[in-house]
Amino acid sequence: MKLKREFTFRLSLFLFFIAFSINALAQSDPTGTSAPTSTYAITNATIIQAPGKVIESGTLVIKNGLILSIGTNVSIPEDAQEIDGTDLYIYPGFIDGMSYAGAKRPEAMQRPSNLFTPDPPNDYAGITPERSVIDQIDVTESSIESLRKIGFTVSHTVPYGRMLPGSGSIILLSDANHTDHLILRENVSMYTQFSGAPGAYPGNTLGIMAKWRNLFTNASYQRVYAQAYSKDPSGLSRPSQDRVIEAFYPVVAKEKTVFYNANSLLEAQRAIRLKNELNFNLTLGNLEEGWDLVDQIKESNTNVFMSLNLPDKPKNSTEEDKSDEVVDLEMKRMDAFNRHLNQFGDMKSQGITFGFSTMGATSSKIKANLLAIIEAGLSENDALSALTIDAAKLLGIESTTGTLDVGKIGNAIISTGPYFEKDSKIKMVFVDGDKYDFEVKENKSGEGVSATDEAILLGSWSYTSNTPQGVQNGKMIIEKNGDVLSGVITNPNGNSDSELNNLSFVNGSLSFDYAVELGGQSIEIVIEGDIMGTDFDGEASISQFNASWAITATKDAPEQKIKETR
Amino acid sequence: MKKLTQSILILFFIASWSTANAQTGDVLIKNATVITITDGTLENTDILVRDGKINRIGTKLNAPNGVDEIDGTGKFVMPGIIDAHSHIAGSSINEGTSQVTAEVSMEDVVNPLDVAIYRALAGGVTSIHLMHGSANVIGGRNETLKLRYGSTNPDDLRFEDAPRTIKFALGENPTRGGRSRGIQPQSRMGVEAMLRNSFSEALIYQKEWAAYNEKRGDRRTPPEYSLRMETLVDILEGEILVHCHSYRADEIYMLMKVFSDFGIEKLTFQHANEAYKVAPELAEFGASASIFSDWWAYKLEVYYSTAYNAAILTKNGVNTSINSDSGELIRHLFHEAAKSQKYGQLSDNEALAMITMNPAKQLGIDNRVGSIEVGKDADLAIFDNHPLSIYAVPLMTFIDGIKYFDKETDVKDQRIYINPESSIEEVKILTAEDHDRCMQDADYVDFFTLFNN
Amino acid sequence: MKKVFIQLLIFCFIPLVVFGQLTEDPRKARTAKFALTNAKIYTVTNGVIENGTIIITNGIIEAVGANIAIPSDAEVINYNGREIYPGMIDSGTQLGLSEIGSVAEANDFREFGDITPHMQALTAVNPNSEAIPVTRISGVTTTLTFPRGGVLPGTAATINLFGYTPDQMFAGSKGVIMNFPSNRRGRRQTQEQADKARIKALEDVNAAWDKAEIYAKVQGSPDARYYPEMDALAEVVNGEMMLYLEANSAADILSAIEWIQDRGYENVVFTGVAEGWRVAEQLAEANIPVIAGPVLSTPTRDSDAYYTAYANPGIMQNAGVKVALRTGDTENSRNLPYNAGFAAAYGMGREEALKAITINAAEIMGIGDQLGSIEVGKKANLFVSTGDPFETATQIIDVYIDGYQIPMRSRQTDLYDEFLNRTPGLNKTKIITDGQ
Repeated sequence: MKLKREFTFRLSLFLFFIAFSINALAQSDPTGTSAPTSTYAITNATIIQAPGKVIESGTLVIKNGLILSIGTNVSIPEDAQEIDGTDLYIYPGFIDGMSYAGAKRPEAMQRPSNLFTPDPPNDYAGITPERSVIDQIDVTESSIESLRKIGFTVSHTVPYGRMLPGSGSIILLSDANHTDHLILRENVSMYTQFSGAPGAYPGNTLGIMAKWRNLFTNASYQRVYAQAYSKDPSGLSRPSQDRVIEAFYPVVAKEKTVFYNANSLLEAQRAIRLKNELNFNLTLGNLEEGWDLVDQIKESNTNVFMSLNLPDKPKNSTEEDKSDEVVDLEMKRMDAFNRHLNQFGDMKSQGITFGFSTMGATSSKIKANLLAIIEAGLSENDALSALTIDAAKLLGIESTTGTLDVGKIGNAIISTGPYFEKDSKIKMVFVDGDKYDFEVKENKSGEGVSATDEAILLGSWSYTSNTPQGVQNGKMIIEKNGDVLSGVITNPNGNSDSELNNLSFVNGSLSFDYAVELGGQSIEIVIEGDIMGTDFDGEASISQFNASWAITATKDAPEQKIKETR
Repeated sequence: MKKLTQSILILFFIASWSTANAQTGDVLIKNATVITITDGTLENTDILVRDGKINRIGTKLNAPNGVDEIDGTGKFVMPGIIDAHSHIAGSSINEGTSQVTAEVSMEDVVNPLDVAIYRALAGGVTSIHLMHGSANVIGGRNETLKLRYGSTNPDDLRFEDAPRTIKFALGENPTRGGRSRGIQPQSRMGVEAMLRNSFSEALIYQKEWAAYNEKRGDRRTPPEYSLRMETLVDILEGEILVHCHSYRADEIYMLMKVFSDFGIEKLTFQHANEAYKVAPELAEFGASASIFSDWWAYKLEVYYSTAYNAAILTKNGVNTSINSDSGELIRHLFHEAAKSQKYGQLSDNEALAMITMNPAKQLGIDNRVGSIEVGKDADLAIFDNHPLSIYAVPLMTFIDGIKYFDKETDVKDQRIYINPESSIEEVKILTAEDHDRCMQDADYVDFFTLFNN
Repeated sequence: MKKVFIQLLIFCFIPLVVFGQLTEDPRKARTAKFALTNAKIYTVTNGVIENGTIIITNGIIEAVGANIAIPSDAEVINYNGREIYPGMIDSGTQLGLSEIGSVAEANDFREFGDITPHMQALTAVNPNSEAIPVTRISGVTTTLTFPRGGVLPGTAATINLFGYTPDQMFAGSKGVIMNFPSNRRGRRQTQEQADKARIKALEDVNAAWDKAEIYAKVQGSPDARYYPEMDALAEVVNGEMMLYLEANSAADILSAIEWIQDRGYENVVFTGVAEGWRVAEQLAEANIPVIAGPVLSTPTRDSDAYYTAYANPGIMQNAGVKVALRTGDTENSRNLPYNAGFAAAYGMGREEALKAITINAAEIMGIGDQLGSIEVGKKANLFVSTGDPFETATQIIDVYIDGYQIPMRSRQTDLYDEFLNRTPGLNKTKIITDGQ
């Protein structure tokens, strides 16, 4: 009897503690990972409050998640952890205009066995604007940390999907226990892209453009009617109960912005065309080819986030006797590359204020890309603006983020030198007032992506392929014989393995193709994607049929050789 | 240094392009053989172009101040060639997932960066009919373009005020799509039924909206809006020209009957390899044909073709044009038209009309182009030989009076956007499969079989 | 009575006998001793004879010239100033092996397997293919019909476009086809990686040829194993059989030149050579004849000039390479003269272009002593035209193959005859009723 009572007592005590464990400040923490204080004072640092607004030898005080004070002569609270900021530089935390940070790609929908391709179910077709990215967010997603490590504190995260995946939300890139703690602002955008239904309507840009017009126009009619109905429903049949249509009402009312994943010249023009025709608020979320679009962007009043995913620099041949033709072609190719770099400074000087998006970019390359963009003509201040206050304004969150001002959220970057210096490293990042430390190594990139580390690549991978026909699993095995990479991929259901052709692994990007026999015809499947640590995230495509789908893979355990980093 | 100058020149050239396209030009072509199409062939004649229009045709004309003069002695000038069936300059060709997609439009997928555009200019072509593919019974709207190469903005290529047109398809292509997707149509019977269904449903839609529009105010219940039905209604009202991919004589005949039943009058049959078998019926209905010069035997439905198709149709009074449906063939449409002199001995004017005035009529742009007449657009092609000779080499191509192609100053590499990650030596070998782009994006692969065998 | 009856019968028949045969069937080819007179003869090898005569006996050209005695037993055909050319030779088609492109059952040019050089195109040719009359009435009398697919898809054969069995059609030349491993670059491959991939593919090919060379030595022995694939390759190794090697990109052509020189194969012809103009000097130096085409094709590179494919044959020919032309087509092999015409207009010149589709083709295939020009002793493969066969306005009046006068009809001309003025035409008394 006594034992039971004691046990019950301990259990309830334990439960008592658990109940309050969310509020780490108040309770005991047997893991010892909670911070000792939530007040910080970084002293004697160079503080860049906003582009062009620098405080030498300043102090920044963050308390309970907000900026308490900032300046040269501020008092330091008693409960503050003092951090010596000598020789350190403090910047406002960076803001990512559009990314998938925190979202976990959902499993592909199984193809219905009797799919009626002209009119598939909306969720199969990827037309789900009523959904929210909140449901996809997984606090353990490594993408949150990857972005935070390079200085990003806020991300406008959008959901994975096809044509209309759902609403995007603005989140803080904290290490939280629960999704709700990340949310800065919910359902701020309607995310859309030129990604068709797998083997069903709308299949490509043609159908997508028409579907957009159809949905929007129906929503316009129904919204007006719904308002009339709510005033006095008597005698009227109910308005559309279609959630997809209802999701468009705030877009029609211009209360919600459409964020378009349209990065090429042609896609961006098509997005602008829809906006001009139908009249809604448009932001191009990750524009890659903007140099010819300045006039159209201005005339249509479109907002822009420029993509930080730059193409690789072309490598000219090192042969001695190059023909005139080769010299000419290489020069043109380099010009084309430079256009990608020059556009930032050019667009800014022509009056386009933009933010940045990291979507599609490899996080380890982002700083190098920024430096290249600055070298090509964008000023450091303009670059910093785009990373911070301009992005905040474009997202409508400038009252609480974007600069280091009293009362704003404690999002800050502490760097070992001026951020735009090549060798400076980010030592600490504050997100929502919480401190995150990073090991600063002298050279070589951190964990995660090893650009040319083939050790990660070689070995056995288990893949999941979300084909339009359903999910397929299998293995791919990559080896190296002498100088040449080779491999096989297993096909499901006892089909023979296929050899991997044209295997290429450059800068973390893996690509190869293989052939499958179908009815006497040889079908070539091309796989391309990026390796981050032990994860592969890519796309499979068959060009003859213009079909593509997602494929992911994880390195199998026994062969794993992760670089030991702390 | 030479390379630096070259690169500067190239950049200037590219820069000058991007401002040229929205404008119109002036030029005086002197002393050429002018093939007007509608008014005979005039020797030693001058053409004066002002503000992009043909201003005067005559002799001993003088160039006003600032107008360039071109010596046309020994050269032949004809109206810019019009290709009534093309898939170049398009990012996508088929929305093949549904058999009726009247709501989609090629205007949404125009790709002004396609090098094939320049190569067509180098073959004397000034306008094309960018068509939706032939995977669907009722496909999407087509777009008529002028090949104003050099712009990055698709709107600059639009043929302003050209009538709307739409693509239909009969026969093996749509039925193949139906068979592989397990839906209708899978036979020519099903194709007819789908056409009749679509028009009948459109009539119902039209009635519903007419009833809605008669009422007033916010308290009327709107029917569902369907861009697809809207387009079908416009076809029924005669506002959209129908261009129908077809091969067999019986399906050509079928469509004319269906159109008669629904009161649609403007119709052009595309490819129409067996049109010659129902030439009298076509002439009676007033339908036109836009055909290949000599393609056959690549499918069963073209096995019974004849290269004399153009001659038979022309002699039976059917407005016939010759098209390319190929990024390769478009470059020598003048040669394709010339084959009608081998197969049926058509006259020079009859042959050339098939790539100028006749397609202009089929696209509803014959008030603007298709012949060299005062007041028409200055879309012109200059050759060093009579264009129907095999030895004819295109020398210059003008659109709206602006020179878009000149063999003398041709720069080999005409790419506008270059992918920085591309290789210098990317080689593509044209195969037979590349010719027929009508089914591009629509080929259906049965993934189930592919992965589960 | 009976006697009178028989006499009557005989009388009825006599006129028929006197005036020669029973009424000729215009759909049948016929041969005889022919004298083709009053024609402008383009011999190709011996210049142009302004007003000449050709005597054909037993399918062979017995005499050619301006002042030829006409044998008394010859059937004289007066061509009144028309032009006569050697029958054109298309050095690359699938004519006879493919009836309808999209129907698998109707195509016989592709067999399963990568190494199948022993597959014989000749025996699979359908002598009654509809495309054959369509082609030959345009003046193309001979084609090199070749298999496709895989590295070594089979043995091609040169056929004359008249005959009722493949043996009747066989023109006396065969060759093994090889598709040289191509430099197909993956999307993110660097130059070095692409080169490595090609080397690997070449290793497999070399392995096959190494085996062939061994087999060539042992095949005579009574214990030699049965190995038909190697048998076919051994013939190339021994110099008994030609090799047609398909290579198109400049890099591939150069690799192929090195390859055949390394292996010491001599009777080799390169086909395709779409970028031959880039390496014309190397081809000329290596003394390798080429079959180029189709001329009516788009450039191989987006950065190339628009006329590249048109100018390709001329550039090679001017550099000293022996060039023959092919359409690469099947049912439109009849467009061979137009491919030649474009080549002529863009640098090759009319004379060389004509050689490229006549004598060059024949010589490259090793049958230059039998075909390709109008010379005494050669086969009577010729056509008669109203003018320059490169011009589309020219009509082909007559075609002779192996001395047979070919019926100048095909299904396409039959359809023209039937439908130019259809009977009934539009029958207005038969109202279009709704069949429902």
